[in-house]
Amino acid sequence: MASYDLNEELKKRKSTQTGAEKSLDDVSRVKVLSPSRKVFKRFIRNRLAVFGAVTLIALFLFSFAGPLFYPYGQKEIFYTFSKQNVNYALAKKNTAFNGYDTDDSIEVDTLVTTSMNSNIKKMLSDGTEEMTIPGDEGGWLIRMETPDIFTLSGVDLEKVADAGESTVKVGTYSMIGKEFTAEGDEIPGLAEAAADQIKGTSGSFEAGGVTYTFDKGAKPKTFDVFAQADGIIYEGKEPGGDFEKELGRAMEEGASSFETGGKSYVISKKGASASVYTVGEAKTAMVYTDLTLDTVKTGGSVPADFKAAALLAAAEGGGEFTSGGETYSILPDEDGDILMVQDASGEPFGEFGQYSVRRYSGEDTMDFDLKQAIAGKIDEMMDEGIQNGTLQAMIPTQNEDGSYSRDENGDFILNETEMKITQRLEGEYVINCDQINYVIDIYAPPSAKHPLGTDGDGFDVLARVMYGGRVSLMVGFVVVFIETFLGVIMGGIAGFFGGWVDNLIMRMVDIFYCLPMMPIMIILGSMMDALRMDTYVRLIIMMAALGLMGWAGVARLVRGQILSLREQEFMVATEATGIKVRARIFRHLVPNVLPQLIVTATMGLGGVILTESTLSFLGLGVKHPLATWGTIINSVSSASAMAHYAHIWIPVGLLICLTVIAFNFVGDGLRDAYDPKSKR
Amino acid sequence: MLKYTLKRILYSAIILFFVMFIIYVLMYNMPSGYVETKARELASRPGATKSYSEWLQDLNAQYGMDKGVVPGYLTWVKNAVRGNWGDSWSWTIPVTEEFHNTVWYSFILGLISFILEIVIAIPLGITAARKQYSFTDYFTTVVSMICISMPTFFLATILKYVFSVKLGWFDLSGMQGRNYMNLSSFGKFLDVAKHFVLPAITLTVINIGGLMRYTRTNMLEVLNSDYIRTARAKGVPEKKVINYHAFRNTLIPLVTTLGGSLPSLFAGALITETLFSIRGIGYASYSSMTQGDIPFIMFYLAFISILTLLGNLLSDLLYAVVDPRVRLS
Repeated sequence: MASYDLNEELKKRKSTQTGAEKSLDDVSRVKVLSPSRKVFKRFIRNRLAVFGAVTLIALFLFSFAGPLFYPYGQKEIFYTFSKQNVNYALAKKNTAFNGYDTDDSIEVDTLVTTSMNSNIKKMLSDGTEEMTIPGDEGGWLIRMETPDIFTLSGVDLEKVADAGESTVKVGTYSMIGKEFTAEGDEIPGLAEAAADQIKGTSGSFEAGGVTYTFDKGAKPKTFDVFAQADGIIYEGKEPGGDFEKELGRAMEEGASSFETGGKSYVISKKGASASVYTVGEAKTAMVYTDLTLDTVKTGGSVPADFKAAALLAAAEGGGEFTSGGETYSILPDEDGDILMVQDASGEPFGEFGQYSVRRYSGEDTMDFDLKQAIAGKIDEMMDEGIQNGTLQAMIPTQNEDGSYSRDENGDFILNETEMKITQRLEGEYVINCDQINYVIDIYAPPSAKHPLGTDGDGFDVLARVMYGGRVSLMVGFVVVFIETFLGVIMGGIAGFFGGWVDNLIMRMVDIFYCLPMMPIMIILGSMMDALRMDTYVRLIIMMAALGLMGWAGVARLVRGQILSLREQEFMVATEATGIKVRARIFRHLVPNVLPQLIVTATMGLGGVILTESTLSFLGLGVKHPLATWGTIINSVSSASAMAHYAHIWIPVGLLICLTVIAFNFVGDGLRDAYDPKSKR
Repeated sequence: MLKYTLKRILYSAIILFFVMFIIYVLMYNMPSGYVETKARELASRPGATKSYSEWLQDLNAQYGMDKGVVPGYLTWVKNAVRGNWGDSWSWTIPVTEEFHNTVWYSFILGLISFILEIVIAIPLGITAARKQYSFTDYFTTVVSMICISMPTFFLATILKYVFSVKLGWFDLSGMQGRNYMNLSSFGKFLDVAKHFVLPAITLTVINIGGLMRYTRTNMLEVLNSDYIRTARAKGVPEKKVINYHAFRNTLIPLVTTLGGSLPSLFAGALITETLFSIRGIGYASYSSMTQGDIPFIMFYLAFISILTLLGNLLSDLLYAVVDPRVRLS
């Protein structure tokens, strides 16, 4: 009796009764199906359920097998060559003069070097060619060699005289003692005049045809008295001869030097007065220029002494110079603005130009010819008095690393572009052009390479949809498993034991049933945001929380089923035959609850996927680098992204819909298949 | 009946007590130092009337943070029962005031979609049941399934994309148009009404599927019952069978469910309101939740828990009222 199989029995009979005419009520006409076959047959008769099942299988293949065949990963960033209008370069006319040491043995006073630029500007505006700066020992001579090159030399200066209006302190007058203390020689009549006329804080008086001024002295109630002299006060021996005449003429003309009596003198002006010096031998210490040296070799660096030697040679009107053991020559071009440097063989080495043309970032990586072309164009623009100009130029393209691409010969791969030169400030020009850059390929439209395009991070959307499907489906299954597991245990215990256990568990069920799930998940999400939790940890916590909050429904269902099953005869029989409690629950009760459970779980899967995607959409579920369908839509949820990148969110949203619909159809179909008489 | 009701209310109160306890524990374990940060922020706000330490003391005392979880919770319950729900942290007004400011928008939105649902879903569900396995039936089933399966955010985004971006009929979000202030009072009403169109459609579509299925299922059950067969057998016209015998009996489960969902009209639509920036209770609570505004969250969660319990109670009571066969005990 134990293994009586009707199908086997029928087969046996069939083999013995072959060919015999069967009567209408012959038992061999009855085909008996196993319960699961019966369910399956009913299931596949339901068109919607089959549609759902096929869709689900397709979705699973897509999500779990798809990435195996799809070449891209979910976090793979894609790049593309893109033409971007960039601030390519900046051309500046140098206004500051830079100094280069030509003779290290001469130590230049820092006061002189720091005021060099202002001194040069003054010389340029005054139109003087030389300027003398007296120092403590000797002095300094700035000489304009060309309007762009100035030399600074150390000179021996010997003061000959002060000329023009000069002020000499003659003494101190004290109000308290009414006495005058002279400095140096006493001047007759001055003490009396001072006592008479000094009043107030400052002023002037005359005595003996000389004007004196007084001012508050260092001590209280004392005055310093100065003699105002308009003439020449000699330092030592008077040079005599035509010195005074020549000096007067030079002062009138505003000249900075003059010669007389076979000696040359320089005049250093200080306001209305001036000092006259004899100049010794000048030794060039530094050379200053506002020119920029661009070498033919791109980005080539040149030592300071090379520039110094070149500039000195240029100062002398061009010629040969040596630096680092090599001989070069420097020649001015036709206009005289640009100085060309050639090496010994006559090959061009570089040029001193008016403009410093650099990449916008300040790097000196531009091609020499391009620099020349830009400088030339700017000159043209200056001549025409226009502020905008364009220029056709070849610029290098960039590769993956952001550096320049080179072909097999090591030359740059160039592409032609139109450069726009715009004057931004006086002497400052910005050069814009379209540059082909290697950039992250964001929001690329769908193409053969990326069927759904790329998202805002340069990820391939289709790859992310696949991986996102894995996570979304996995979340659904894990949560439903937790729910069902807890629900079956709690509901089973409650239903089977009844009494106070049942009461306690059912009150817990009531409480969990009442918990508002969405708000609690949102709170949890923002809490995890505040703790900056790892995205995988978040995923696990989220699944656990969803599972914990969902078990009440399952428990209620299981308990209800068990309560009704418990009263049925077969359960009474298990009790009567003395089967163990565990076996009674898990062998006899649970299998009878199973159909209902499977239906609920299938329907629940769709619900969990909806909840998860909503949370991820709000940014409170799974976080960005990990893909789920919700986060993919979230990444384009802002108003502008939503409007422009519909090719990203519409397919993903439809996929969510399709999955949930498929689960619901399958659940419906299963319910009808298990129990055709049940409610639909 | 009265005794049953009282018993159920008492029972609901106990459930509510524990539900709120679970939520309180969750809130209590918010990232540490939260109250301190909040107190510092409140004290440094322009026009703050209390200093940091005062705020800290105040907040701790108000929510019993200085005590353990259980005494703290009891303090909260004591305050809540007396109607003292505290001041909202993110809205800086009493919680109940913010509730009054927002709940009516939610109610109006909920009511509109509730009416639309009933008007659309019930006739469709009945038609589908009458013509079981017909094209209409399949169509209705599929449509209702799509509605059930549609994520709210996706539907809202599609509606925005089609009607706001492509057609430009409505604003993307918000409750008022740009020149709201210059409109007459009737114009203002129309302006707000216009902004409620998309949220109302969203809510209706999301909820319509379930009601449609429910109606169809119940109608099918009624149509398969013996008294319908009897009515048909004795020659009652089909119209009368459907409208008189069947429909009235279908109403029993419908009225109980719909009656039970009446309180939830006040609960607000968290996701929909947030997506469309409707200043209802759902939107207010969403921003409170993301900002950790504990007083408002506690209030809102207590509120919706009460609404859920009230809904269950109402549905059970209505069942007894509508169906004379049911006796409550």
